[in-house]
Amino acid sequence: MLEAGVGTETSVLSARGITVRFGGLNALSDVDLDVAPRSIAGLVGPNGAGKTTMLAVLSGLLRPTQGRVWLRGEDVTDASAQARARGGIARTFQQPELFLGLTVREHLVLADRVHFAPRRLWSDMLDPRSLLPASSAENERVDGLLELLNLTRVAKAPVAALPLGVCRLVEVGRALAGQPHVILLDEPLSGLDMKSSENLLSVFQRVVAQTDRDVSLLMVEHDVAAVLALSNWIFVLDFGERIAADCPDVIRRDPAVRSAYLGDEESVEGEPEVPVAGEGGEVEP
Amino acid sequence: MLEFVIAGLVLGGIYAIASAGLVITYTASGILNFAFGAMAFFIARFYYYLHTEHSWGILPAAIVAIGLAGPIMGIFLYAVLFRYLRFNSPLIKVVATVGLLVAIPALATIIFGSGAILQAPGLAPEPVHVYQFLGVPITLDDIIVYICVVATVVLGAGVLRFTEVGLKVRAMVDSPAMTDLSGTNPDLVSGGVWAVSVFFAGLTGVLAAPIIGLDPNKFTVLIAAAFAAVIAAKMRSLPIAVGVGLLMGIATSLAERYLPSNSQWSGEIIDAIPFIVIAVVLLYSLLRRGRMGDVERVGGALDRAITPQGESRLAGSTSGALESGSLGLISKYAGPFLLIVAAGALPLIVQGYWVGLTAAAFAYAVIFLSWTLVTGEGGMLWLCQITFAGVGAITTAELATTHGWPVLAAVAVGGVIAMLMGLVVGLLSIRLGDLYVALVTLTFGLLVENLVFTLPSFVNSGLGLTVNPPSFATSSRVLAYLFLGIFVVIALFILNFRRSTSGLAMNAVRWSDPGARTTGVSVVQMKVTVAALAALVAGIGGGLLAIQQSTIAPGTFDTFLGVVWLAVLVTIGIRSTAAAIIAGLSFVMLPALAQAYLPTWTGNIPPLLFGLGAISAAKYPDGALAEQSRRFRNQLLRLADRQKPPLVIDTLSGPALADDAVGTATGTAQSAVAVGKAP
Repeated sequence: MLEAGVGTETSVLSARGITVRFGGLNALSDVDLDVAPRSIAGLVGPNGAGKTTMLAVLSGLLRPTQGRVWLRGEDVTDASAQARARGGIARTFQQPELFLGLTVREHLVLADRVHFAPRRLWSDMLDPRSLLPASSAENERVDGLLELLNLTRVAKAPVAALPLGVCRLVEVGRALAGQPHVILLDEPLSGLDMKSSENLLSVFQRVVAQTDRDVSLLMVEHDVAAVLALSNWIFVLDFGERIAADCPDVIRRDPAVRSAYLGDEESVEGEPEVPVAGEGGEVEP
Repeated sequence: MLEFVIAGLVLGGIYAIASAGLVITYTASGILNFAFGAMAFFIARFYYYLHTEHSWGILPAAIVAIGLAGPIMGIFLYAVLFRYLRFNSPLIKVVATVGLLVAIPALATIIFGSGAILQAPGLAPEPVHVYQFLGVPITLDDIIVYICVVATVVLGAGVLRFTEVGLKVRAMVDSPAMTDLSGTNPDLVSGGVWAVSVFFAGLTGVLAAPIIGLDPNKFTVLIAAAFAAVIAAKMRSLPIAVGVGLLMGIATSLAERYLPSNSQWSGEIIDAIPFIVIAVVLLYSLLRRGRMGDVERVGGALDRAITPQGESRLAGSTSGALESGSLGLISKYAGPFLLIVAAGALPLIVQGYWVGLTAAAFAYAVIFLSWTLVTGEGGMLWLCQITFAGVGAITTAELATTHGWPVLAAVAVGGVIAMLMGLVVGLLSIRLGDLYVALVTLTFGLLVENLVFTLPSFVNSGLGLTVNPPSFATSSRVLAYLFLGIFVVIALFILNFRRSTSGLAMNAVRWSDPGARTTGVSVVQMKVTVAALAALVAGIGGGLLAIQQSTIAPGTFDTFLGVVWLAVLVTIGIRSTAAAIIAGLSFVMLPALAQAYLPTWTGNIPPLLFGLGAISAAKYPDGALAEQSRRFRNQLLRLADRQKPPLVIDTLSGPALADDAVGTATGTAQSAVAVGKAP
């Protein structure tokens, strides 16, 4: 049913015919992808399949050789990464790309102001309002996010001091502060222990379930069991080509996917129990 | 024509060897050696000392100078400096080599004596034998250059690509830690690389000495020209670097042949050839919308894992934008405030000549603030702020004296013109990466210095340009307070910037390009804006300096001196506005005090100290003085926070506190790391 999102009008994020060539190497070949509103989509595949390249194309950090990208029906193929971010595409990175000179709270404040008060990026140079307390609306939004992510108590800590699991939460917080329509998550669980992974996965579920947000997630992840358990829709890449796109149950049984990536049956049976936090933890598209 | 091609191959050959040395060092160490010219000068001067001043034979002098002193210098510098730079940001690597660029010529002057040597021998016995090749006269010095070029290419490329040593060097660039674990001593390999690098520098110096003499500034210009070949080679391709180096030499020779010899422009076009090459390469790269690859991380995952975070900063760690807590703010701003008050008292305390020096120091402090903005806040290393100051000074003189403008309005217009130039240079270079910003601004400075500042209307038959002070500030004391007032206004702007949303965004840009872009912050717009504002500040500072000096010779705004200015500021503190005023006072007062009260030879000690101070950026990126100030402030904060519980980060369930408070204004990343490690 999510494949109904193929039409760009009903997808929050769509890509058609994405091809990326690095010299003679085809990193991506004619890949289509759609993310439905308020959903979690998984993008999986073996190493070198082109998953991170796809995220780079979608977020605007890499120009495709061919193909188009739409955000809520608007063609953003030629838009820069920062223009896409302001339009509603946020992302996280496998190696967190945090601003080591800023505190946790400052990460969220910056992203919040980019969305709600973009002129302040320039006008504040001459305007001494930074000497005054921040607006109550801004504080409310940022404090709410810190609370949601359980980051309140490290809000004033510089991120350089934080462990990986917390850094990932800060990245998610920064992404959410920009009020995105879709967040691209690049291997958010890699390097995390089980409890940190569960914590992060529960955050993803809560975020998508929040009624006051209209956000979808597209997650590249090697923890296939977690992706299958969490996602509404899965895209599978292999050698730069999309070999499958379907709901998790179908993907599990897909012979091509099993041959290329999942392997034998046992490897995907033992799915962890993904914690469901808050109301509406189960996400239905 | 053949005659000019063959002649051009000599200069081209020297460019080629220099650029090969730079490329090999960059490939093997990740450091672009801005001090290559200074090293070349030092070894060439040592060769001259042995061969000419102490009558050593060519062979023993060359073996000792190039073959022994060069490699020993390389190993020494690796041991005390370069090995600490391996994982630092490109910015700190450049600053450290810029420190060497300042320190080495000063050291050479202390050791060998001052005074430029216009004619120096090469490696050929004198009188130099001349051969005929296809009817073209070729000296033995020329033939030695050709042989050295071939040997450089064959040995350089061959060793790196085909030998086990080359394999180890390339492995070490990828991951020193893994190389170490594989049984190869990375220090041994890196030390060897630097020995070879300074050997190349020495060879370049001795080969170039017969052509350009022995003058450190000329060596810097020569190496800046070689940078054109390095840029064309994208720092890494040895054949392209050598090829472009040779072609530049041939182009220079042909231009000398075919351009009209009686035109002033001919000489300027010839001098500009390397810079034209740089402009063409940059424009080509921009049209292809690509970066040029200087941002790739050195080392592998293991290397990053064992390197403490925060090592690679140049500017301060925390933005302070949202910092709160009265003690934090008071301890942060009380020192600078008291310093400004003390500086303000100086013109009242000192008399006569020294009052004028104080005014000059405040004008320099304004110029230094441009680096506080562009490097301290923007994280970019601009090496042409002195050029912008020169543009400000010339514009002020032209508008105020020739066209009768009010002098302060002329200063403002000078600043705006400098800002527009900064905008163009920024747009051309910033997109390509931090290393290219340093390279492009250095060559831009040299270009303007050689093409614009030498125009007859500015040189004015050696008399320079005159500027009268505003009618209300004819005394040095009033002038000093006027400059201090302007300094305070700009410093307040920078402080506001640092605490503002713009400062947050700039801080974000400095730490993570992709992180900033995907948060919606335009990296290029932010950097270009800050760079242009910094150029505006430098232009205004230059105008003020012109007013203080009454007469300015544009030639005094030479790029190498600008590098010394930078070294002064880096030594004291690149991010602190208070440091800018201390740097201004140090730069003006220390030489004046030395001149007044110490023997003449001590005049070279301040530049040497400033150079060494800039090198210390590798250890104290904030500057030695700023580092001490930070430690003192942190002590105060620790005393105040002693009653508060430590921050405990539970990696399993997320962050939490032992009790209900996080220390306000935790200070810097280092102190925060210490807090984070508390049980």
